[in-house]
Amino acid sequence: MLRLIGKRLLPQTQTLGTPAAAAVGAARFYHERVVDHYNNPRNVGSFDKEDPTVGTGLVGAPACGDVMKLQIKVDEQSGKIVDACFKTFGCGSAIASSSVATEWVKGKQMEEVLSIKNTEIAKHLSLPPVKLHCSMLAEDAIKAAVKDYESKKAKNGSSEM
Amino acid sequence: MWNRRKHLLLSSLSLLRHISSTSHLPRLHPLKPSPLLSPSNSFLPPVDSQLRNNLLLELPLRGFPRNLSSSNSCSFCWNCGVVGPTSGVFLACGSCGAVQPVDASVDYFQIFGMKKIYEIEEGDLEGIYKDWQKKLHPDLVHSKSEKEKGFAAEQSARVIDAYRTLKNPLSRALYLLKLEQIHVDEEKTVSDPDLLMEMMEMREAVEEAKDTQSLNEIQSKVKKKLDSWSKSFKEAFNKQDFGSAVNCTQRMKYYERALEEITKKL
Repeated sequence: MLRLIGKRLLPQTQTLGTPAAAAVGAARFYHERVVDHYNNPRNVGSFDKEDPTVGTGLVGAPACGDVMKLQIKVDEQSGKIVDACFKTFGCGSAIASSSVATEWVKGKQMEEVLSIKNTEIAKHLSLPPVKLHCSMLAEDAIKAAVKDYESKKAKNGSSEM
Repeated sequence: MWNRRKHLLLSSLSLLRHISSTSHLPRLHPLKPSPLLSPSNSFLPPVDSQLRNNLLLELPLRGFPRNLSSSNSCSFCWNCGVVGPTSGVFLACGSCGAVQPVDASVDYFQIFGMKKIYEIEEGDLEGIYKDWQKKLHPDLVHSKSEKEKGFAAEQSARVIDAYRTLKNPLSRALYLLKLEQIHVDEEKTVSDPDLLMEMMEMREAVEEAKDTQSLNEIQSKVKKKLDSWSKSFKEAFNKQDFGSAVNCTQRMKYYERALEEITKKL
């Protein structure tokens, strides 16, 4: 029976490339949004860490060996996030979650993005229960980026005085 | 045969419960069937009463029943009734060759006859694995009953699982922690900047590597780190410092992922 599922999965995986989790013998497919983020990644890249307007969030999930870096560029006057980028090493769900996170934070206030919940990301990508922790990682990355920016601002603010 | 054995065990256990609560009962005669047993077991043929009484003699009259599930002295072959071995695991009958049902209380180390330690003899694993498969493989039972085919499928799958788990150092480490009931929270995220920075740079280096030579260099560096953390795990585990042990397995996981990526690229 597993062989049948494997055969049915094969045509799917060939068009996807090699999302790691599809190799597992379960009859589970990636949602088209996840595939879209994987094939057409948005906002992949890096900002200069030392830039005072940049906040860097670096988080990891040791259980699956994932690393996620999410960076935000903040406009100092308005406190609005003007740009965001990410770099994630992990499964398709983790990559898609961080990609969605960078899309959602753009144009929002810093306090506003702190209320982005992993459940919203998971629902948007139709993540199965086993991949919920990927969306949690993205939520943590957003919070870490904001926290980093604020602590940088505080340090720079105090050094100017 | 299987149902009869279940009845035997159940009746022995209910007898024990009764005895421990009423201490004034007369001592049981070894050869006469107990009056407590006969009403509920009158359907059993006479030949079993001797067996029943032998079982009674082995069980203590007061206190808790012996742990029957893992004790080999109470394992019988479902096919020929021969008692299982007193030492070693009972996966296939030594007398008639019938494959036995899976006993989940037997752990992977016991299947391979190894001590529950991290530093096992990896070289011995393959030989023992092949020996087991010569007795358990489903291909050997294609002419047997459905029941035995089912046992063979499960038993040989379990041995395969055991072999794979013990062969890979990281999975062996995680299995050892599991046996010690150390629960590792799968969903926890970490934000240790040094650790993550190192892993990020490592993965970036793998991604940007342009030729086989640079990939091989990275591969040997990562393998060295994996080995050193593997040693740290061994020390932490032997000292029962489970916090550090879990830490070591987390790092090992990251290095293993990097090695997987390198292998894919090579």
